[in-house]
Amino acid sequence: MKRTPLAVLNLLHERTRLLVAIAGVAFAVLLIFMNLGFQGALLKTTVTFYDQIQADIFLTSPQSLEISTTKEFPRTRLYQAAGVAGVERVMPLYLESLLWRNPETRLSRAMFVFGVNPQDPVFAMPELQTAAARTILVQPDTVLIDRLSRADFGPQTVGLETEASRRRVIIGGQYTLGSGFAADGTLIMSDQNFVRFFTPRSFDQINLGLIQTSEGANVPAIAATLRQQLPADVQVMTRRDIIQNDLLYWLENTAIGFIFTLGVIVSFIVGTVIVYQILYTDIRDHLKEYATLKAMGYSGRYLFVVVLQEALILAVTGYIPGFIAAFGLYQLTFQATNLPIEMTLNRLILVFILTVIMCSLSGLISVRRAVTADPAEVF
Amino acid sequence: MAASPASSATETSPDNSAAPAVQIRHLNYFFGTGELRKQVLFDINLDLPRGQIVIMTGPSGSGKTTLLTLIGALRTVHAGSLQVLGQELMGLSSRKLVGVRRNIGFIFQAHNLFESLTAAQNVEMAVELQPQFHAKRTQATEILGQLGLDNRVDYKPESLSGGQKQRVAIARALVNQPPLILADEPTAALDKKSGRDVVTLMQKLAKEDNRTILMVTHDNRILDVADRIINLVDGYIESDETLDTFNTTHDPKNLDQQMFIL
Repeated sequence: MKRTPLAVLNLLHERTRLLVAIAGVAFAVLLIFMNLGFQGALLKTTVTFYDQIQADIFLTSPQSLEISTTKEFPRTRLYQAAGVAGVERVMPLYLESLLWRNPETRLSRAMFVFGVNPQDPVFAMPELQTAAARTILVQPDTVLIDRLSRADFGPQTVGLETEASRRRVIIGGQYTLGSGFAADGTLIMSDQNFVRFFTPRSFDQINLGLIQTSEGANVPAIAATLRQQLPADVQVMTRRDIIQNDLLYWLENTAIGFIFTLGVIVSFIVGTVIVYQILYTDIRDHLKEYATLKAMGYSGRYLFVVVLQEALILAVTGYIPGFIAAFGLYQLTFQATNLPIEMTLNRLILVFILTVIMCSLSGLISVRRAVTADPAEVF
Repeated sequence: MAASPASSATETSPDNSAAPAVQIRHLNYFFGTGELRKQVLFDINLDLPRGQIVIMTGPSGSGKTTLLTLIGALRTVHAGSLQVLGQELMGLSSRKLVGVRRNIGFIFQAHNLFESLTAAQNVEMAVELQPQFHAKRTQATEILGQLGLDNRVDYKPESLSGGQKQRVAIARALVNQPPLILADEPTAALDKKSGRDVVTLMQKLAKEDNRTILMVTHDNRILDVADRIINLVDGYIESDETLDTFNTTHDPKNLDQQMFIL
């Protein structure tokens, strides 16, 4: 025969209070999910960028911060790298921003531009692998546009003409990349067009040097050799290094990482306070009964467990609606911003653990009142 | 997660049936510390044999409730000796005091029932203090039946009358058949008839099962159930008499000073 489930019955007795408590926990859970979601999406966009770039080793200027904040360096360094054993192919990547005019609203916004040699397999997107795509790229003033660019840039119809940095520009095709926090939208154009658009830039100054190694080569060893042989005006990074570098940049050198962490902490505190209020009120209302239990011979530990059970029940019942709401908002955020905001198993577990800690903490703060209930005061 | 009360209960308080239910020697008790220290009980000596119903009276502030909570192991004994069911409470740790309480049935002035639990569940909470409680439902309904609550077993306190609630509280105190029952103004919140019923019930149960009942009350209407009446004044035992003597000494016809004390 089971014990009387006092914790459950106490919570169920005050339906309104229970609903308020669940809503409070759900709200805190939702806030934590959204903050972690944005943070995760930010990190993911910096990674997806590189996932589509087909290179094992990257050359950058030591003064570059992340992909959208780069400093040029001499293309010669790339050719020097080509001489190292194990290097299969080297490709220059030119990066700049231009003002893209929305042909409908006539408003201009900054668009991030990749300048590539049309013959180089820089990107992995399937749309760029065809001969047709290369033909389009070599046409003058013709660009490919990212389907995931913000809607504010206007229509993306092939053949559409608009103005970018005071030049006529034609949309020649589309691809799917996603631009994240670094840019609102991206274009790919040939290096010829790039030099035309961004006069006085020349072919000799590049932003990113892409190095493909031969099949089965020892990438870290090649990177080490490059570091040794190249002068200090370039930085040699493996794929992992450069992804890590960008992640750290966003996390540490901008307010973004800080803001979301703070958001999680604030949500956590809000949740703790709400649950504390509910539990404390419940204990206060039942103080005489709890003291009576102690007079009957129940130990303080029993009361401790009852309050903790109430806290855990609130944690679980609040987590579920919070999770469902967060899932819906993730979808909505993705549709509105194209941010790759995703529910991951790790995050589900992390938030659940945070919720349990949040509720237990409130339980521990409020339980003192019940445990110290003096049975002698009941008379 | 199964909540289990501390298991030390049964070992620490052997129910030594030969010993008197309560034996008090030279008990003194103080409230507060230092400058504010105030003595509330002075050199109490008292024996409560088994099967006796004892009523404790006295003006408010005389220390009745304090004495009751001391006997009930709800307070720590400071000085003197206090044995409950053969167990010395002086110097006992608070953990062991919890164990002593399980052999005592408490009836309070307020019923102190959980509003969230039904009458039966409130009683079952007491049964769950026993190592074996698989028959808790049967035990609870049985005792509620004895108290005339057959039809109210699954009612929550909010749908019970004051007298019914108090009877549930009494069922809770009696369900484990404690050898000692302590009651503080059990009839204070009840009308005349309910109060009478409750007291008669307690008397019946005490006589049938040889239980000791110590009851604090101001209610003159129920004095007749007592075997013995103790009068406590300003922390001293003023008188300790049988019912008959008490009636004579407190008879208004014998204009005695004592009647003004009661």
